[in-house]
Amino acid sequence: MKTPTRRLLIVLLLSWSLGPLLWQLYTSFSTNEALITPFANIDHRWTLNHYKDVLTGNPPFWRYLINSLIVGAGSTILTLCIATPAAYAITRSRGTITKVVQTMLIVAALFPYVLLFLALLEVARSLHLGNHLLALTIPYAALSQPLAILLLSAAFRDLPIDLEDAARLEGLGLWSRLRWVLIPLIAPATASTAILVFLFAWNEYPIALTWLSDSSLLTLPVAMARIAGSSIYSVPYGAYAAATVLGSIPLIALVLIFQKSIVSGLTSGAVKG
Amino acid sequence: MLLLLVPAAILLALVFVAPMLHYVWLSAHANSVLTGLVPIPNQGANWIRLVSDQRFWQDAGQTLRFTVVSVSLEVLLALAIALLLDQRWRGRGAARALTLIPWALPTTVMALGWRWIFNTPYGPLNQTASLLGVAPLNILSNPAITWMATVLADVWKTTPFAALILLAGLQTIPTDLYEALRLEGASQRTCFLRITLPLLKPYIALALLFRLAQAFGVFDLVQVMTGGGPASSTESLALYAYINAMRFLDFGYSATVMIGSFILLLLLCLISWSFLIRLQHRTGRV
Repeated sequence: MKTPTRRLLIVLLLSWSLGPLLWQLYTSFSTNEALITPFANIDHRWTLNHYKDVLTGNPPFWRYLINSLIVGAGSTILTLCIATPAAYAITRSRGTITKVVQTMLIVAALFPYVLLFLALLEVARSLHLGNHLLALTIPYAALSQPLAILLLSAAFRDLPIDLEDAARLEGLGLWSRLRWVLIPLIAPATASTAILVFLFAWNEYPIALTWLSDSSLLTLPVAMARIAGSSIYSVPYGAYAAATVLGSIPLIALVLIFQKSIVSGLTSGAVKG
Repeated sequence: MLLLLVPAAILLALVFVAPMLHYVWLSAHANSVLTGLVPIPNQGANWIRLVSDQRFWQDAGQTLRFTVVSVSLEVLLALAIALLLDQRWRGRGAARALTLIPWALPTTVMALGWRWIFNTPYGPLNQTASLLGVAPLNILSNPAITWMATVLADVWKTTPFAALILLAGLQTIPTDLYEALRLEGASQRTCFLRITLPLLKPYIALALLFRLAQAFGVFDLVQVMTGGGPASSTESLALYAYINAMRFLDFGYSATVMIGSFILLLLLCLISWSFLIRLQHRTGRV
């Protein structure tokens, strides 16, 4: 491809990916007059009021970020604690079992989990799990199992079997082998899995929507949707844009910092799964 | 050893298997505000209602339309993006990270962002139109076109995922294959058709299947962006099931809608799967 054509395509790609976000950024700093005449020349064009509104609201916006952070971190830890031993067991079991389990996991990973929300809601009601942030980590960890087990077992399989045999000859039991030899060696795969699970839990909507009602406990996606649902016709777009920007910053930072882990997680899932 | 599997197996059974069994049971019962939320067996009345429920079939058609159009656009666009990101140029790593951003954001966040972009008359699209002297278009209140706006928002968000899978596929193709074919004097187009596309097929199939299942379950986007409107023209099956449960408080029927949607999705996957297999046979590659 010739360089000018390529340059044009790159510009197109980046404006397509970032354009809608940049418009939100622009909106978030615009006064209400500027909002309804985005291309006209007016005096009072810029303001910080939307950010002030969002940050001093009740509850203040950072509350939702903290809630999402709690749910995301909790789900990630729980997922890894359960998926790592399972992934190891699958790697070391006989061929047919591995095949069957793997197929089932792929089907589960494909499943549009939104269809599960009603049954999960009934569970939450009967066990009084609604309005508990950490309770959400249970369904999230469960829904993350297929992906986590597939990624981690692929990593375990890549380790040379001699390594584990040597550790066994040294007299290390199963737990010590996992703890001191195998788990440290699959750290990159664990990191990829962790970041993907965290993103899923941070972004999950239908279950959080039905499990949480207390407005100080909402996770970010539910809080944003609630602003939208407050009225179909008069969404406070300026404040909403400010909320979008604030809510996006942690994720954008995460993507830019952990880009390599995310890419290797998604692609090794594709190549080996 | 298998003991290590037990926690994961219990969790998976609880969250995937038990709900489906529960739905099967629930779909055989009337369980709504009318019954005081007490399940009463109703001899398949839910299923009879489902078969003749126009709204269910309308939503099924709309969900299918949304799925087919947005997944095809996504995979085509993702292929173009993957080819671009696979070439060597300065700043490629940064561009890869930046194109991932839409995928990483919560759907609900940008769903409302899109509502603002499509706003009549203040959104940037309609403002640009009025600058050009074109009459504003009621994008989000015209049942004939609103669904296209939801497709656009979905393509924007999920293309990076498909592009990454295809990029992973591109990177597994050894470069000497291209060099060998080019030595025979083959053009870039021939290389693409004879090496890239055939070797990429498993990855395209994977991206297609993954996206097909996810798009068919579309919920967050339409619930926040359009609420299923205007005139239910963007309502998806998942949203209809949600409305039945949470607004009409008819849990028995909601469960029936969910199983119905699930069966339709299975059919869709089987059809596309057999189509993909036939495509592979025709071009003589496995």
